[in-house]
Amino acid sequence: MKKYLAIITMQLINNIAYPGDFLGRSISIGIFLFIFAGLWGTTFRIAGTDSINGLTFANMMWYLMMAETIELGRPRTNRIISEQVKNGEVAYILNKPYNFLMYHFSFGVGDSLLRVAMNIGVGLLAAWLLAGPPPSLLGWGMALVTLIGAWILHFCMMALIGLAAFLVEETNSFELIYQKFVFVLGGMLLPLDMFPEWLQGIARALPFPYMMYTPARLFVKPDVELFWQMLGVQWLWVIALVFLLAIAYRGSERVLTVNGG
Amino acid sequence: MTSIEVHDLHKVFQTKRKAAGLGASVRALFKPEYREVEAVRQLSFQMESGELLGFIGPNGAGKSTTIKMLTGILHPTGGDAKVLGYVPWKERQKLAFHIGTVFGQRPQLWYHLPAIDTFTLFGKIYELDDRETKKRIDFLTEAFEIRDLLETPVRKLSLGQRMRCEVAASLLHRPKLILLDEPSIGLDVVAKQHIRDAIRRMNQEEGVGVLLTSHDAGDLEALCKRVIIINHGQIVYEDKVSNLKRKHLTSKLVEVRYAQEVPANFHLDGVEVLKVGRYGVKLRFDTAHTSVDKVMAHLSSVGDLVDITISDPPLEEVIAKIYREAPTRMSRRE
Ligand SMILES: Nc1ncnc2c1ncn2[C@@H]1O[C@H](COP(=O)(O)OP(=O)(O)OP(=O)(O)O)[C@@H](O)[C@H]1O
Ligand SMILES: [Mg+2]
Repeated sequence: MKKYLAIITMQLINNIAYPGDFLGRSISIGIFLFIFAGLWGTTFRIAGTDSINGLTFANMMWYLMMAETIELGRPRTNRIISEQVKNGEVAYILNKPYNFLMYHFSFGVGDSLLRVAMNIGVGLLAAWLLAGPPPSLLGWGMALVTLIGAWILHFCMMALIGLAAFLVEETNSFELIYQKFVFVLGGMLLPLDMFPEWLQGIARALPFPYMMYTPARLFVKPDVELFWQMLGVQWLWVIALVFLLAIAYRGSERVLTVNGG
Repeated sequence: MTSIEVHDLHKVFQTKRKAAGLGASVRALFKPEYREVEAVRQLSFQMESGELLGFIGPNGAGKSTTIKMLTGILHPTGGDAKVLGYVPWKERQKLAFHIGTVFGQRPQLWYHLPAIDTFTLFGKIYELDDRETKKRIDFLTEAFEIRDLLETPVRKLSLGQRMRCEVAASLLHRPKLILLDEPSIGLDVVAKQHIRDAIRRMNQEEGVGVLLTSHDAGDLEALCKRVIIINHGQIVYEDKVSNLKRKHLTSKLVEVRYAQEVPANFHLDGVEVLKVGRYGVKLRFDTAHTSVDKVMAHLSSVGDLVDITISDPPLEEVIAKIYREAPTRMSRRE
């Protein structure tokens, strides 16, 4: 286990060595929130109400702040794996006494930690300016706890797409499709509460809401009963996807072709 | 003790044939055409532990593919292999503790960080304790003369400096065997010499076995005791480097200068006269057919010798000749 901790640390140091990249990235969360504040401000004004389906303007802004933090901080494992397969670097990763998936997991954690922290920092500042004080400490607590499961689910999906690179050259299109699912069914664009019943039903049967909606929703409207329920389902999905990923890895190992050399 | 045993190792790559033109591309989308490349064919060989074995062959011969199979990254299409007692593609992680690898064309050191960070990380990954890692780093920095380079971000090192760090990193965990795929590619003469010296030293002091691929006959001469030459995925030659030289480096090039003018009709049986100048001659002969003694006796009988150089043709030429002759050799065997 010590080796995986070392990989996390190494990637953290690596990111700190290049602060420009993630600084630029975290500014984008401010811009997003600014644009959404304009959109939702107008929507609430036109509708002439204080809350839509139980969510106020301030709720919306803090919801989006958390959702954007997750989207911008999620692992990019798919791109890293396909890049490494294409340029042959995967040879070195496979040649070390660690588990390939655990390596990428640790690398992703190291990568995300700083980005999530930065995004929360900048997002907090922007949302506070635009929508007033942040949610309660209970909201923060529930969000942070469910963030862990959400991150792991993102990792599993990204790693599954990444493994496809063992078989086909290009995996970008898979990521685009996946992003659309998270965008709509995950509740990134709109909280699920705003969906018609039938669409909510479909979304809740899939893993996507647990990757995005769950932490963001609990953040703005902490609810103990909902927390335990969503946390439970989230971790069932975690178990299912980790299992799927492990099987997919076993299968793809055999067909890997390493380019170049 | 053998450290590598390979029997009938075979690897076929299937590559999708990329058709030209839109129509063909669309057709290929529904019914892709595959082309098979036999990268390695029925390869069999052995390597003793602590041996220095050179694996050479022209581009596309199958060297890298073989190395990738021996480290367990690629699954072979057929055949068996054992490396340090492990079947590489089945026990890759166990094997990883005992071997080191360097793929000369790509870096394993973290690019933006100083090499020392990667060394320390590798210490953790190979489960060494911190004191041991530190001692080992000290030893390797001395052996590879990289003390001044360790603190510099890897991206700022020259290729030669980086390669020394790369090879040193592959030795951190005291592997019994290292597999080096073109460690000297792109290096200048001095940098090559540097790397070779360090590798030879590690072999002598720690008995680490070295399997290296190269295009450079200099690597063979300087480092390897035995050579396997492969072409089109097959072994075309396998022998001690000294034997290769003795059997194939038989032709000698001689240049002489005299105090007096040389007779224009200079001639000697069994010797090819390449050039006759006013005061000197240049000739070539094969020691298998013409004795050195006879040539020397004749040369000194012509006049007073001022200067003489005798040289071997470059090993490169010899190897190129073996590649060219290989297909006939193989067909004769069949
Ligand atoms: N991933 C791959 N997919 C398809 N064909 C491949 C792949 N890797 C290698 N090949 C083919 O297998 C053959 C052997 O390649 P390999 O890289 O082992 O040669 P090599 O001896 O290392 O050559 P070089 O000296 O140029 O590095 C070549 O014909 C190459 O085109
Ligand atoms: Mg090669």
